[in-house]
Order: sequence, then C-alpha cells, then structure tokens
Amino acid sequence: MPLLYLTHQWYNVVMVLVINLLRWWYTDGWRKRTRLIANRLDGTIDYFSIDLLLKTLFAPFRQISAGRVDGPLGVKMRALIDKLFSRIIGAFIRFIILVIGGIVIGLQAVLGVMILIGWGLVPLFPVIGLMLTLIGVTF
Amino acid sequence: MDKPVLFNAASARALKSRLGVKLAKPWRLMIEVVAAMLVLGGVGAVVVEMPVGWFLIGLAALPVMLIEWYGGELHHPPSEGESIDGLMSGDVLGLLGKNPTPQEVAKAAAKVRGGMFFALRFGLTENFLLNITSDKPEDTATIWENALKIRQESGSQHISGAVLVVAIIESFADRDSLLAHMKLDREDLIAGIRWFEHLRALVVQHSAPRRTGGIARDFSFGYIPLLKRFGQNLSEQVGVRINADIASHTRALDQLMDTFGNGGRQNAAIVGAEGTGKTTIVHAFAERILDAKANIPSSLKFRQIFILDSASLIAAAPGRGELEGLIMNVLGEAYSAKNIIICLDNAQLFFEEGVGSVDLTNVLLPILEAGNLRVILTMDEQRYLQIGQRNPGLINALNRISIEPANRDETIAVMQDQLLMTEYKRKVTYMYQSLDEAYRLSERYIHDLEMPGRALKLLESAAGYSESGFVTANSVQQAIEQTMNIKVGVANGEDERQKLLNLEDLIHKRMINQTRAVQVVSDALRRARAGVRNQNRPIGTFLFLGPTGVGKTELAKALADVYFGGEDRMIRLDLNEYVRTEDVARLIADGADDPTSLTAQAMKQPFSVVLLDEIEKAHPQVLTTLLQLLDEGILRDIKNREVSFRDAIVIATSNAGADRIREYIERGYKLQDFQEKFVDELISSNQFKPEFLNRFDEIVVFRPLEKPELIQVIDLMLAGINKQMALQKISVNVAQDAKELLVEKGYDPRLGARPMRRVVQRAVENLVAKQMLSGSVPPGTVIEVTREQVQQILGAE
Repeated sequence: MPLLYLTHQWYNVVMVLVINLLRWWYTDGWRKRTRLIANRLDGTIDYFSIDLLLKTLFAPFRQISAGRVDGPLGVKMRALIDKLFSRIIGAFIRFIILVIGGIVIGLQAVLGVMILIGWGLVPLFPVIGLMLTLIGVTF
Repeated sequence: MDKPVLFNAASARALKSRLGVKLAKPWRLMIEVVAAMLVLGGVGAVVVEMPVGWFLIGLAALPVMLIEWYGGELHHPPSEGESIDGLMSGDVLGLLGKNPTPQEVAKAAAKVRGGMFFALRFGLTENFLLNITSDKPEDTATIWENALKIRQESGSQHISGAVLVVAIIESFADRDSLLAHMKLDREDLIAGIRWFEHLRALVVQHSAPRRTGGIARDFSFGYIPLLKRFGQNLSEQVGVRINADIASHTRALDQLMDTFGNGGRQNAAIVGAEGTGKTTIVHAFAERILDAKANIPSSLKFRQIFILDSASLIAAAPGRGELEGLIMNVLGEAYSAKNIIICLDNAQLFFEEGVGSVDLTNVLLPILEAGNLRVILTMDEQRYLQIGQRNPGLINALNRISIEPANRDETIAVMQDQLLMTEYKRKVTYMYQSLDEAYRLSERYIHDLEMPGRALKLLESAAGYSESGFVTANSVQQAIEQTMNIKVGVANGEDERQKLLNLEDLIHKRMINQTRAVQVVSDALRRARAGVRNQNRPIGTFLFLGPTGVGKTELAKALADVYFGGEDRMIRLDLNEYVRTEDVARLIADGADDPTSLTAQAMKQPFSVVLLDEIEKAHPQVLTTLLQLLDEGILRDIKNREVSFRDAIVIATSNAGADRIREYIERGYKLQDFQEKFVDELISSNQFKPEFLNRFDEIVVFRPLEKPELIQVIDLMLAGINKQMALQKISVNVAQDAKELLVEKGYDPRLGARPMRRVVQRAVENLVAKQMLSGSVPPGTVIEVTREQVQQILGAE
C-alpha cells in the first residue's frame, strides 16, 4: 500500500531525526553549551581583569606621585608619603573592584553550573510534566 | 574501473540538512512563539491550580530543543566521512533531493552563499550555470568527482556552493573557451573559492570574543592628556582593520615583538617604500599587543600605541623653542604613563625643516639613544638614507626593520580584505577580474607607490567608474585611462576602430608618400589596440633612416596628432644634446629636479610617441641606457623607479648614410632593393652597432621626395595657410606653374623639403599679408597667386 509505505517512510525519518537530536543534545550540544558558559565567564573575568588587579594591587593609582624624586630629605620623605598615599588609594579601588568582580564571577559560575545540570534534564521535561500532571500537583 | 561517486540523499546528515533548510527564519520564530506560549500557558494553568500546566511547561522543552539543535548543528552540520553527502555544506545539501540532475545541483548551488559569491564576484550566475548543465541524473557523477578534487585542491573544509559552482564549470566540455570569454581561467576560480573561504573565516574571527584587558587595565598607568590631544591612539581603533598575511609584514611584526619584548634600545625604524604598508604594520602590532590571549611578553601586553601628529604639534607651539618644550612634555608624559609606545609616522617630518615638518633631531636623538622610551619610526628608504647622511648618530641609534613590497598573491590577498571596507563605504561590489586588472595596471602605470598600496589606490579610484554598482576590469581600465590619460583596454568604440583601420589615410592627410613607414607604425598601433602585441615591450620601436626633410619627424608628429591626441603627446629628445657620458643622468633625472628628462616625461605621459632625434649623435653610454627601453619597454630613473614605455611608440631618427641613400636613388635603385645592403653598410662603417639595430622592430629607410611629391607637400602647406585664414573668410589659390616654381626654388637635395616652408612663407604668406593690410581683399575673396607674382617676390630676393 503506497500510503502505508509513505507513513512508514515518515516514521523512519522522524525517528532518525529524534535519535540524532538526543544524541546531539547529550554530546556536542552539552559540550557547546559548556564552552559558551566558559566563554562568558572568561569574558567577565577579562572585564574585571582579576589577574591584572591582583598583580598591580599595590601599584600607585594612575602613576600619580609615582615618579622618582631627588632632593633634600624632606622632599624625598614627602614624595614617599605621596607615593604611599597613591598606593593606598590604588589598592582600595582595586580591592573594591576585586570584591565586586569576585561576586559577579561567582554568581555567574553558579548559574552556569545550574544551566549545565538543567541542560541534561530538558529532554525529560515533557515526561516530568506529564507525571506532575497525572499526580495532580498544584500550588 | 573506478567506483562511481555516490550521493546518499537519505543519510542522517542529509536529513538533518534538509530540516535545517526547512527551519527558515519565519518557522523558527513561530516555534519560539509556541515555546513561549506553552510556558506562559503552563505557568498560568499551574497558578490557577490546573495540574495540566506542568505538562504544558514540559512540552515547551521540545520546541526549545529544536531551536537549540538548529543553532548548534542543523544550521552547519559538521562533515562526516569522505562521501559527497558527508562533505557537502549543509545549506546546499539541504536543497538536494534523491538523484539530483546537474541542473538541480546548479540551482541549489546558485541559491546558497558560495554560489551567490561566484555570481557576484565572477558573474557566474544561476542562468549561466543552467545553460551549461544537463537534466540527466547520470551526468551528476562527474560533478561529484570534480567537486571532491576541487575541494582538496582549494583546501576547503566542505563542498560548499562555491566548490560546486567550480565543479559544474569543470564538468563542462568547452570550459576553457567559456572561461576565456569571461577573461578567467581555472586558477582564478580556485582562487575564488579560497577568497570565499577566507571571507567566511573572517566573519567567524570577527564574531569571536576579544579579550582586551577590561576596566582595570589602565589603572596602574598614568594619565595622558597631552598625548590624547596631540596623538592618535591606534589601540582604540583595533578591530577596524583587517590584515592579510604578507610575509614581510609577519616578519616585521615578529621583529617588533622581539625588539620591544627584550632588553636593548626600545625603538624600531620601519623602513620601506611608500605603499608597502608600514603604518598597517604598526596598526597590526597595536592589535596584537592588545590581545590578552596572544603569546607575547608580559612587558608588552596591553601597551597602547600613539601616533604623534606633527602638524598639530607645530601649530600648538609656534614660538621659537616652544615646540621642543612641548615635545619634551609629550614624551615625558608617555614615559611616565608606562604603557605608551610612541609612533612617529613619516618620521622624516621630525628630522628635517620644511612645510609641516620640523627638525627635532637634538631633542629626539638623546631619547632614542638612551632607549628607555618605546618609539616606532616609519619612513621611506630614501629619507632614511638622507637622514643617515646628515646625522649618522641617529641611524646608529635605531633598530632598522625593512619592509619589502608585497608580491602578486599577497597584494591580491590584501585587496580582497581591504575592498570590504571600500565596498561598504562606496556601496559597490568588486568583481574578481577587477583585482587582477588593478594589480596589472598599477604595476605598470603607478610609480609613486609600491605594492600593495599602488594596487589598492587604483582599486579605490575604480569605485568611481562602477557599472551598475559593480567594479569590473573595465572600471579599473577606465580609472587609469582617465587619471593617466592613456589607453589600456582593447579598442572597442566604433570611432576608434574606424580610426585604426584608416590610420594610413589619416596620416597621409598631413604626410606625403613614405608609405612603408606609415604602414609599419600603423600596423604596430593596430596590433597594440587589438591586444595581440607583446605587453612587455613598447607598442613599436622604429628606426627611421634618411636624409633631412623627407618626413621622418613629420611622421612622428602626425602619429602623435592623429592617434595619441595631439602633437603635444610627443616626447621629443634631440640626442645631439646627449653627447657626453654624464648626459645619461640627465636622461633619467628625477621629475622633481628636471621635468624634461625622458623618464619624467614618460612617467607623466606614458601613452605617447617618443621621438629620439638624431640618434647617431648620442654618446654610446646613452645608447646603452636606451637598450633596455627598446628591449623591455622600461627604464629605471635615477631613483631606481621603473618607468614604463610599454604604451609608447618609440621612433628613433637618423641622418646617417643620407648621402648613400641619395646615391642609390640617383643610380636608379628602388628603396626595397638596397635597404638591407644599406643597413649592413651602416654596421660595417661602425655608425651603429648590430646589437643596437637589432633592438628595433623595423628599420625604415626614407627616400628623398620627388618633384610631384614636393608639389603635394606645397599643397599641404597651402591647406595649412587656408585653414589659418578660414576665420577671416579669405582663401589662397596658387597656380600650378607657380607651385612648380616654388618647388624649384625651395628644394635643396641636401635639406629635402625643409627649405620649402621658408619659400612658401616668403612668396605666398607675405603676398597675402600685404594684400590684406592694403584692404583690397574683403571677406569671401579668393586670392589668386600667379607664377609671375612668385617669380617677382623670389626673384627680387
């Protein structure tokens, strides 16, 4: 029967596609999603430039009073104090950014992990939904 | 027997591709809307305590998964195995059904990006492909076989639409003549696939995230208000430029990295001719050191490059000594900031006095010698040497990096990248043929720049000559023809064709006889304009031998007038002024020093007649210099720039052996009987060296004019007089016996027809002038000149 043949053909095509979708979802799809989350995290780390902040934590802020000063002891002392002050200001600003950056990166990492776990469960959502419906769960 | 290449339209990859193609944007949008509605509906149902809401929310996962799958795999399914359907790009694979015919393959290929690329850039449209393909499925196997081969040859990852287009053409039996008709060959098509793949890679590269340091990057570096005012921050422009890989650029970048990444003097002088891309290298360097992922020394990471603007610095410090102070402040700021690399583009502006330039050697030299502040200088070779001559200390303090001009492939690659910006700005599309033509023509005609700059310059100016938005090879030809006033294409206008076909008649309107000479130069021009000549030589090189006053120079003038657009299109050199060895320098002098030198004039006017008068009088060294011109159509000027004479007709004239010619004629010889012997005599009498004579395409001997011809010369002169008087509506008619008298009085066997002009001037022009001044000839009068009148005037003298 041509109709039966066609239906059979369509069934085969749909099954091949479904199997391929699931295979992709749990292999390349998951890998790609992980890479995407890692890239975003990397972008945030770059935005807050954590490594640079750590490396230059105590460097004078914007090179203010950072130059070498020659002269009498009083002038040198004054320059040293200015430099120290510049370093303290720099360290303070960097520390604040480090803390904010740390929090944002931490939250993003947690969210990323949750997304990755959720990714594995997505194909099960219709089944879970059906079960919840059958059980009759409501708020 | 080879196993036929099979195409499996039922493979999983083919199914996925078809689904990918079917999921066009409207469908995807609808699926997304369905997913959103399911979620919203489900949440709403759960809120109103309907458990079915959970199922609706769960169902939303299916459309979401489909959309994710589309973005992650269906859109570009990765290749699988080595079969046709395993390697074919998803976009084209998704359009093909079971057992496709060549025409179906052509249609599918033309619809996807690769095919559209070839339609746009090469003019290989869908209709064109359909015309060369059959509708027999059994013919498709050849296309598959060719596609597999071409994919490998072009290094493509997939069998893209572009590969299929080339495979279709490859499968066509008469492909060579078909491509020739479009001024293409197979190599061009393979280059086209590579260009397409390169553009795809650029798009991927452009969309890749950049890591440039973030908000805290510059916290530990100083403020730079002066630099911001007097400089241009290249690091802020990163991402705008696209840099093709040029060997000398890559080498220069590595050298820059090495110079600034290690100890030693922190400066580099990038030296190369204009147009080689010195500033582009500085841009590329700025881009590389701003990339957090690049493998570069930490001392260079995130450093910023500022180009100092000499004009604004000079304008801001007009007083004496102010500029030095300002420069010191700017450089001091750069040093204190700790993250600045200063670039002095066109550095000669800072080392010499002139308009827009200032000599700051005394300020900059100690800084460069100390090597603490990072400085990049760019300048051309000539200026570098000049500065070195004036100040050897400066050159010793610099780390030199030389940039060589790009070769053909590199230049084409640079053009392919750079034209994207021009296309965007000028709203045009460049066809592949235009790039090739831009390289070829700029190499020949543009001398003030080197590759790739010179080809880019021409390509950009060709945008102004686009045809319906497309920049073709013809647009490039027009651009160079308009800017240089030359003719580079094949003659295609009806007027020009007629002119070429009737060139002899046109020349004879102002020249009597010497038919052979007229014919050889006419033939040479016809060959040139039909595109059948050797492109690496002048259009023609001729040596005209004969006595004075027989029309040698006149022919050159006539040619310049009739074909090249006026007698001023003739570059004339009297070689009796080049009789010493030192005169060679005058011959090839730089146009800035001597605009009348041969090379300077040819540079300005490559499409012309070059007349080398009295060549036998030139110094042998001058003749040796001219050998390359005659042979290859090029001459190097004093600055070692190649000047092309490949669009010129070179005519050398000589009186050598004039008496001998006369003697032969008087003894009753015909020209063709003694020409060969005569040339041998010239060689054996050491008047010309055989290697010199051999360089000419033709040696033409002019014979003295005979009496009837001289009367025709008189007629030409009278026609000239009548033309001049046409404005006053007066004309002159000289009686035949008066003309004969003029010939008799004016002809000198030694000087040919030349004295006749003086005789006509005295006898006819003076007579007419007197009559006109006396007021006896109102407009409309024909002044009749009789033999008696001529006799009276000439006899009286």
